[in-house]
Amino acid sequence: MTETESKVVDLLAVFSDLGPASDAVEHLRSLGVHDDCMNIISGVPVTEAMLGRPQQWTNVPRIAMGGALLGLGAGMFLAFVTPFLYPYPIQVGSQYPVPGPPTVVVLFELTMLGMLISTFVGVFLDSFFPNYRPMKYVPEISDGKIAILVECPHVEENKITDALKKLGAESVKPAEAQHL
Amino acid sequence: MANAKQKAEAHHDHHGHGEEHFRQKHLMLDPLPRGRMNEMVMESMLEKPTWKFWVVAGFLSFIVVYFLFYKWGVLIANGQGEAGVMRPDYWGIFLVNTVFWIGISHAGTFISAILRVFRAEFRRPFTRAAELMTTFGLVQAGFSIFMHLGRVWLAYWLMPYPNQRMLWPNLHSPLTWDLLAITTYLLSSTMYLFLPLIPDMAMARDRSTGWRKTFYKTLALGFRGTEGEWAHLRNAMNIFAFAIIPVMFSVHTIVSWDFAAAMRPGWHSTIFGPYFIVGALHSGMGAAVLVLAVIRGTMKHMDYFIRAEHFDAIGKLMLIISMAWAYFFFNDYMVQWYGGDMWTKIMLHYHEYGPLNWMWFGMLFCNVVLPWAILWNPKWRSTPWLVGFVGIAINIGMWFERYIIVPISVTINRMPFTWRQYEPGIEVPMGIGTVALFILLYMIASKLIPLIPVWEVQEGQMAHELKKFGRETVVSVSELE
Repeated sequence: MTETESKVVDLLAVFSDLGPASDAVEHLRSLGVHDDCMNIISGVPVTEAMLGRPQQWTNVPRIAMGGALLGLGAGMFLAFVTPFLYPYPIQVGSQYPVPGPPTVVVLFELTMLGMLISTFVGVFLDSFFPNYRPMKYVPEISDGKIAILVECPHVEENKITDALKKLGAESVKPAEAQHL
Repeated sequence: MANAKQKAEAHHDHHGHGEEHFRQKHLMLDPLPRGRMNEMVMESMLEKPTWKFWVVAGFLSFIVVYFLFYKWGVLIANGQGEAGVMRPDYWGIFLVNTVFWIGISHAGTFISAILRVFRAEFRRPFTRAAELMTTFGLVQAGFSIFMHLGRVWLAYWLMPYPNQRMLWPNLHSPLTWDLLAITTYLLSSTMYLFLPLIPDMAMARDRSTGWRKTFYKTLALGFRGTEGEWAHLRNAMNIFAFAIIPVMFSVHTIVSWDFAAAMRPGWHSTIFGPYFIVGALHSGMGAAVLVLAVIRGTMKHMDYFIRAEHFDAIGKLMLIISMAWAYFFFNDYMVQWYGGDMWTKIMLHYHEYGPLNWMWFGMLFCNVVLPWAILWNPKWRSTPWLVGFVGIAINIGMWFERYIIVPISVTINRMPFTWRQYEPGIEVPMGIGTVALFILLYMIASKLIPLIPVWEVQEGQMAHELKKFGRETVVSVSELE
């Protein structure tokens, strides 16, 4: 295989509607483009099922669960350990040093705090936010267009471009990374 | 036959079930191209402020600087003697305002999270406006509690780490639970505000130049709208929507325990938790509808996004919440009245016949009589200014309620020789300062942040359509997720 043949190009096809975009995804697959070589970019959350795309993997729920456990651990430290770190014991009414109901409150709040902070951080980690490097994108996407970013061998560029145009793409261009 | 058909059509039009009627009435059935909606939201933000805007902003800034920060400096310099708090009224307006602002903040979560979980479609255009209220309301609540703290520079002692004297916070105290709950709620509601804002920041980034471009670009974090980014965002927003509801409930329940955990007449009530939550929702919804009425009346294109149907829907919620509040109030009152405890009886008598009884009756009028009198009527509750007026009244009523619970109830205790009517001092201007800061922050946000989540509106419009069942046209909603 020559260097030109092995060169990979990115094409950005912009569609105005969901229907043609989902047809295009299916057609690209029949042309031998693997799902991993496609990415859909849209201004609204279009689900994978609508476009016939494989389910997106997300670590957010797992990270959230991890954060909840960390929060619970922090709560347990506060509730079960700190009462014994005082140089002298603190008595509140007739309560035990680790009283039941107040401990529930502390554990609940810190578990939720841990879970919610880690959910937020999870979005950043999974999406590689913040990312201010040049990226392949066109502003029309936030105007409601749907773009398919296709990675294909250079030799198939024309074939795929023609196919996408036939399927209703408003424009098909080699994608160029630019500062957003 | 033709005559019958004409009659049927006339009947159809008379009842307003034509497609045009639906489109005028429902935002979700009246879609515009996404680009046009983006333009409208950007224009509403970028519109050059009128002289009235600057006059109001200048006036509010003066109030914030003088009434809030300067007076706070005076309070710090001279001590809590500047305030009217002294035996037995150690808890005064600062705590009234703390409870009040936390209550206001509940509307954001209620509208955004609960209505999202239950897929109430009318929520879509105003979730952000409500979420902003949550964050800005909690800022005022934080300020109010710090004012009450007195030696505010020692606030870090509340943090769970051992200070110089090796003292950890006392986790037996409801006040420490408050710190945990309010901190959790402030952080989580701010994150919950920010997550759905990211796509709109990206939209604003694509349409801005100059410093605004840098601002939106920074906050958009490089969001493009890829499948992965949406999937992570969707997952996170679902987790937040479910998880923030119990956090919201816990916050005001814990605030109520600040009172209910004390063995005082009028405070030691098992129903205070839900009573406070319903009260918070009551004032929060009132504030939300007021904000919506102001946004709709003052900002360009907002009459497209915020329509009579939204006031009607919120009006119904306000009516239900008002009824729930009346139920909890009566429940709380009834048990105390029936209990026959001498001090509680004196306190209830003081509420109803004391020098501030106008506040007690005002509370019932603003929280129950007025909302019920106006909101039962679909036409009235669809009128923005009228529902906004009810919103103001409810907030006045709910402020009265907190005033009655805090300084008025504190006046009556089991030691009659300490009874003294609370006379607020520096708390009054400082409280006004928090109101001014809330409005000022909102005005600034309205010029910087897209108040309408355009992508959520478009998503809703994609899901809605009109269907014909025989001769009847009905609204149909698809489950897109």
